[in-house]
Amino acid sequence: MLNETISRRTFIKGSVSLSALLGLGAAGTQAPKGLIPKAAAKTNGKVEQFYNACPRNCYDTCSILTTVEDGRITFITGNEKNTYTKGRLCVKGNTYPRVVYSPDRIKYPMRQKGRGSGNWERISWDEAYTIIAKKILEIKKEYGSTLPICLNKYSGNFNILNYATEGMLSSIGYTTRAQGTPCDPAGSDAQGFDMGVAYNNDPEQFLDADYIILWGANPSWTSAHSMYFIEEAKENGTKLVVIDPLITQTASKADEYIQVKASTDGALALGMIRYILDNQLYDKEWVNQNSIGFNEFFAYVKKNITLDWAAEKTGVPKPVIERIAREYATAKPANIWIGFGMQRHVNGGAMVRAIDALAAITGNIGKKGGGVNYIGGETWGFNYHTMSFGAPEGSGGEEDRFVNMNNFGAQVLAANEPPIKMMWIACRNPLAQDPEPTVVKKAFDQMDLVVTADLYMNQTVEYSDIVLPVTTPFESVGINVSYWHYWMNVNEQAIKPLYETKSDLEIAMGLSKKLNQIEPGSCTFPVSGDPLEWVEKELNNDIKALFGVKSWDDLRKNGGTAKANESITVAWNDLKFRTPSGKYEFYSKKAAQYGHHPLPVFTEEYKAPKEYPIRCMSPHWKFGIHSQFQHQDWLMAIQDHPFIEIHPDLAKTRSIKDGDIVKIINETGYMTLPAKITKMVPADTVVMYEGWWKGVNYTENFTVKALAEDMGEYKKGQRGIAFHDNFVNIEKA
Amino acid sequence: MAKKLGFLVNIERCIGCHACEISCKSFYQLEPNMRRRRVTELPEELVGTPVRAFVSTACNHCDEPACKKACPVGAYTKREDGIVVHDQNMCIGCQMCGKACPYGVPQFNPVKKKMDKCSMCYDRLDVGQLPICVEKCPLEAIQIVDYNEVEPSNSVSVVPTFADPSITHPTTHFILPKPGKQTRRF
Repeated sequence: MLNETISRRTFIKGSVSLSALLGLGAAGTQAPKGLIPKAAAKTNGKVEQFYNACPRNCYDTCSILTTVEDGRITFITGNEKNTYTKGRLCVKGNTYPRVVYSPDRIKYPMRQKGRGSGNWERISWDEAYTIIAKKILEIKKEYGSTLPICLNKYSGNFNILNYATEGMLSSIGYTTRAQGTPCDPAGSDAQGFDMGVAYNNDPEQFLDADYIILWGANPSWTSAHSMYFIEEAKENGTKLVVIDPLITQTASKADEYIQVKASTDGALALGMIRYILDNQLYDKEWVNQNSIGFNEFFAYVKKNITLDWAAEKTGVPKPVIERIAREYATAKPANIWIGFGMQRHVNGGAMVRAIDALAAITGNIGKKGGGVNYIGGETWGFNYHTMSFGAPEGSGGEEDRFVNMNNFGAQVLAANEPPIKMMWIACRNPLAQDPEPTVVKKAFDQMDLVVTADLYMNQTVEYSDIVLPVTTPFESVGINVSYWHYWMNVNEQAIKPLYETKSDLEIAMGLSKKLNQIEPGSCTFPVSGDPLEWVEKELNNDIKALFGVKSWDDLRKNGGTAKANESITVAWNDLKFRTPSGKYEFYSKKAAQYGHHPLPVFTEEYKAPKEYPIRCMSPHWKFGIHSQFQHQDWLMAIQDHPFIEIHPDLAKTRSIKDGDIVKIINETGYMTLPAKITKMVPADTVVMYEGWWKGVNYTENFTVKALAEDMGEYKKGQRGIAFHDNFVNIEKA
Repeated sequence: MAKKLGFLVNIERCIGCHACEISCKSFYQLEPNMRRRRVTELPEELVGTPVRAFVSTACNHCDEPACKKACPVGAYTKREDGIVVHDQNMCIGCQMCGKACPYGVPQFNPVKKKMDKCSMCYDRLDVGQLPICVEKCPLEAIQIVDYNEVEPSNSVSVVPTFADPSITHPTTHFILPKPGKQTRRF
């Protein structure tokens, strides 16, 4: 069995020299990687390679190398010039050829007779534009403004040119917008109160960390490229601690896993802080020089927090809290990564503030390889030229109106004077991804017209009047950056758009042309333009200097990917925080202004109602990003249905066996699906992963209420949803 | 001495993501349900503490390949370096190899009406490139090793779900995960 005397690292090193014996030593240098043997055999074929960018809502936002033979994509893989992507894609990215050539692509504009009837007919782009333009102008005439038109667009494609959809809506007048984000709002507000803005260290710096705590983050499934750096750090002796209510795939790789009761992570952080203060393990100099409100916070902790309380609250024994606190406080630098899932609770923002405080008192903020890493936006300084045109003269209303994206159905229904009568949906699938999908459906029922731009016939398209077929990244141009790593990736057009598909930018220009034909001056969005010119307009001098590129075309010619200047890759390296005081704010007046306690205090978690005693969490799934990817047949061949994970102790109380069909139910809704009996989840919690499985007519959100998180208004305009404070009952179906 | 090439699968590093399997499917443009490499879930208690563990396997390029013995038309050959090659041009699609293989490796391609299996990307190896699954694993958890040179002392030749290696003497070896410390509530 396992021989402990030879470490795996030693062996791997040994085998690298072995590769010379295998004649593999020149791999990667002698012959280029990719499709070469196959392509070389095909002497008549024209082989080209293009740079693409994965535009999904993902930490990793990969730089892609696409091989095209005779106009058809034959392979899609990672770009080796990007040291984060490292020439490799995640499982989802590897399905891209199928994403493009899937038989499920929507090929033409279509109109549905009877929403949800499936009675679709093919129409031309001109007919589609005409129907939409006439409805827009009709609404404008009837209501005196375009405010009855509501845009719900978010993160299905973060190509900067896709903001053309927002720009096109702004170009017809003032409209109603789904505002906020279901992603990171509470945590981003928390980091905003503490430091001015959320700002993370370069994830490649995991290699520089002496100690890593992944706090409610599961990069094995959501950021495989980060996991590579974490595994490498482990090989070099860095300790990996994972704190999570679930034994995730990442927790399975940890040197130490700590199972915390969901929504009590803040109590764990405060318990650690109490120990660190009592034992004088904090960085007095850092705190004195770089923070305000430390004395008030210290007093709060001394008065209100004990290790016994923290142990009781979190389910983590006191000796473990003490040991982890000591280890974390004495490792230099120590790195914390807070996952988005950890803050999807009613007290999520407060919990992130407590974890931030832990990093601050130990002086880990502003250090290479350290940090309290959550999300960042330092590389997003584009021009957003597509959104620059403004409302036409004589537009009714004074400004856009906002509804909370996270309680979309109810707020659309409640909107009045004027009511909402038309919806434009792009890069989003609200009927699957929103809480309370039945309420969203009711809001759709109130519409005169629902237009959805999408790739596939998902739940939202099925309930729309008109669908506009869009391009994949490989069929249009663009540019992408990440909210995690520090690279900028070019997206070239690798192939001609399939069928009659168009990019969101082309759709915006096409609709503007039609509107101006029918009523000249009714839309300020340009009616034509070369996407290559549009993309060049996104780069300003600051962003060019930051990435050291002359232009989009320059970057295209030089590897398709560029990393930002090192000066910004260590968050808060200059210790000039963007708070009102310019310091790290343990005491935040801004937080108080938004109705929160000014200090990072523990606020109570949501308690299970008596009738629904079981927490149902819906974290991200390895084969999907929200409702993207999992429905593809390449992935359905591996896992063709959703399932619910149940601990054996809980299953026993309901006589549920592995594979049994179970019903999960609460006051919002119910669904039936197969049980997977596993110790990966605690006995008071069940887990159903997020996603759209083809042919499955329910989603994890069927039981999720639009329960608000504690924060979100400061940075995102709206609070997020406490997705993981969902309580249900389960029974054998 | 002839080589004895085999896969070395590092389960400790594997995150069960299936990128190996899908990059292979993509590179070879396989039919949607064809899986030359597959990732299988291992028992949770594999190393004592409960964890999510997976093993990635493809053709095991056995020393005594049952597929080769079973094939009535001689479509299988074993190269000097140990790679078991299936010649689809000779294959008559009788599926005897699939039935004979203890690992169920050869799969029937319903479009070509032929059998199909992993070739260890020998055409890539022959020009100094790594097999796709080795090159594309995000965690660098798969390697090719010449087992005539070194038999890694920290590897094992069998894991749960993997058939008895004494039948066909597969070359694939595995590195098992080391258990981490856990503080669990249940």
